[in-house]
Amino acid sequence: MSVPPVLGIITRADLTVLRAVATVRTAWLTHLMLDVNAALASPWTMRLVPWATIAVLVAFRRFRHLAAYLVIILAAALLVSVMTLEIGRMRPAGIGILGPWQGYAQPSRPVVTLALALVGVLYTLVPAGRWRNRGKWAAAAILAAFCAARLYLAVDHPTDQVTALIIGWPLAVVAFWLTVPNDAFPVSYRGGRKAHLDIGGRRGAAIVTALDHQLGLAVTGVEPCGLEASAGSTPLRIQVRGPDGGTTTLFGKLYALNHLRSDRWYKLARTVIYGRLEDEKPFSTVRRLVEYEDGLLRLMRDAGLPTPRPYGFAEITPEREYLIVMEFFEGAQEIRNAPVDDRVIDDALRVVRRMWDAGIAHRDIKPSNILVRDGHVLLIDVAFAAVRPTPWRQAVDLADMMLTLALASTPEHVYERALSVFAAEDVAEAFAACRSITIPNQLRSLMRADERHLTGRFRQLAPKRSPVPVQLWDIRRVAVTAGLIAALAAAVVLFDIYLSAAGLL
Amino acid sequence: MTPRRQTRRHHRRAVRGPLSALLTTVMLAAAATLTGCAGFGDTVPGCGDPLRLAIIAQSVPSASYLPCIRSLPQGWSTSGFDPSQDGTSFLLNSDRSPGQPVTVRLTATCTTGGAGPSPPRAPGVLTYTRLGSISPRFAGRLYDVFPGGCVSYTFDFALGSQIALMEQFEEAVGLYPRQQLRLVLKQKLGVELNP
Repeated sequence: MSVPPVLGIITRADLTVLRAVATVRTAWLTHLMLDVNAALASPWTMRLVPWATIAVLVAFRRFRHLAAYLVIILAAALLVSVMTLEIGRMRPAGIGILGPWQGYAQPSRPVVTLALALVGVLYTLVPAGRWRNRGKWAAAAILAAFCAARLYLAVDHPTDQVTALIIGWPLAVVAFWLTVPNDAFPVSYRGGRKAHLDIGGRRGAAIVTALDHQLGLAVTGVEPCGLEASAGSTPLRIQVRGPDGGTTTLFGKLYALNHLRSDRWYKLARTVIYGRLEDEKPFSTVRRLVEYEDGLLRLMRDAGLPTPRPYGFAEITPEREYLIVMEFFEGAQEIRNAPVDDRVIDDALRVVRRMWDAGIAHRDIKPSNILVRDGHVLLIDVAFAAVRPTPWRQAVDLADMMLTLALASTPEHVYERALSVFAAEDVAEAFAACRSITIPNQLRSLMRADERHLTGRFRQLAPKRSPVPVQLWDIRRVAVTAGLIAALAAAVVLFDIYLSAAGLL
Repeated sequence: MTPRRQTRRHHRRAVRGPLSALLTTVMLAAAATLTGCAGFGDTVPGCGDPLRLAIIAQSVPSASYLPCIRSLPQGWSTSGFDPSQDGTSFLLNSDRSPGQPVTVRLTATCTTGGAGPSPPRAPGVLTYTRLGSISPRFAGRLYDVFPGGCVSYTFDFALGSQIALMEQFEEAVGLYPRQQLRLVLKQKLGVELNP
């Protein structure tokens, strides 16, 4: 058996340091160091901090940070296990070990665990800047006290702790930088939807560059707008310098992978709870989503519908982030905030009629997607629109539009105006097809806040018609439901394995 | 290269590459470990690797012998190596006795009451066996008692295979003299084992 000479040198150097530390051993100091070591190395501390971190990340729905945290904890645990077994180093020899220990010495597992727990808190829960910087000092002080106690007790060699600190601090920090860079995924408690991406830093610069290179737009400013009404993308107001030197405002929607995933989960949940509605197909990629919306904007424009003029879309990060650009309706108000007179009601109903005639369904008719300017209705957010939809889907558009108008008027008046554009049977079919699931969330919550039972009133006004069934039971729905239950069970088992591997049990 | 292509290349490298690489590496490592394919080697020190045996010696500073793996017969593996200030324990698993590993434990003392003497396994070692049952399972405990320490082996085998399995695990675990380890550590690392 050959031993590298450097191993002997390192061991002797470590022991020299430990012997020097041991010269200051006194009874009261030993008690103090045992208490410090017991408090910080206890299984409670080692599990409490990671579990609390996980709980806070789940509570704030910061799932990307959570995924990064779980992966980094697991990677570090595996790395430490491999190193521990490969190196197989004994505890300090020739000196009295005063504290409890377990397993090989190099790297020091308790030091790695505590450092990782503290760095995890700092980089997933504490906002960057002043608070994180203060937190770093506090974490460093805790780690210093812990390492000093373990050296005093001669439980670890100094080099065991150095290796542990390298894994638990700088390596972990680099891993957090790579997986959740602060520019793209800042830790913030200012509220707002998690679907909205931060458009500062590198992403902001990339947006300006992409719009210049790909769409030839000289951007002078980008700012978020209308965030409260949007959950599926990050809406932006884009200031552009025109060829004449004047400034134009455009509207942009930044789509990312998380929007696509949210859409998939949303549609999967609807499939399980209600049965798949006939035209609820999720998009396969972000690129497909923006291609589709851009194409529909052009189609609806050609059909004479009052939708924004399309300017194309730019690729921010291939297959991950795309920005679709369109006309910004300057001076337009959401229909909730605009006066709704007969002109507006008629115009809104004619928009639905035009969609029917053009063979298009908007599929997301709600107040935030209907703007009014100079008494004319404008339609936005066509991402979920469908071409050649079923009559059922077109009927739902009419019902949603009439409900939206009735919020600002009365069902009787809206019904009366509708009869000048649609047949009474069309209205009857619209409300026979109208169910809770077919009404967009915003419209549904506004209807709940309204004391009138709008749907029921419209049904009374329209000719009698049997309801159109929405709950569709088919083999696919049964299979998806069973698959989801199996996947949940598998996830529980895998999480249990993960907890064992990561040392969190 | 056009500016557009430059932008694409930059983003692939700067944002997507490291993240994908990190996640892929970690997932592969996790999968390899969780499925037992990582090949980290046996966790229990072999008798030919005295530097790793030192941690066992530190777990019971008085023990004059240390349990180690001499050679594992076909179908046997080790797991659960756990040295601490209270002693050392590990498991010997046989594919002929699934779910019933032999638990090997080194402690400073042990109680051998009711156990009968067996042929000693090393010079200066007293070996005892106590059978808890013979049928339907062949279960009990074997003790190697020596100055300053004791190694106990708890076994529970199905009838029929017990003779071969007993022979195999006794052959697998050797006893390494502490005095010899002390000399090796002094020679190789220049350190004294005990204070």
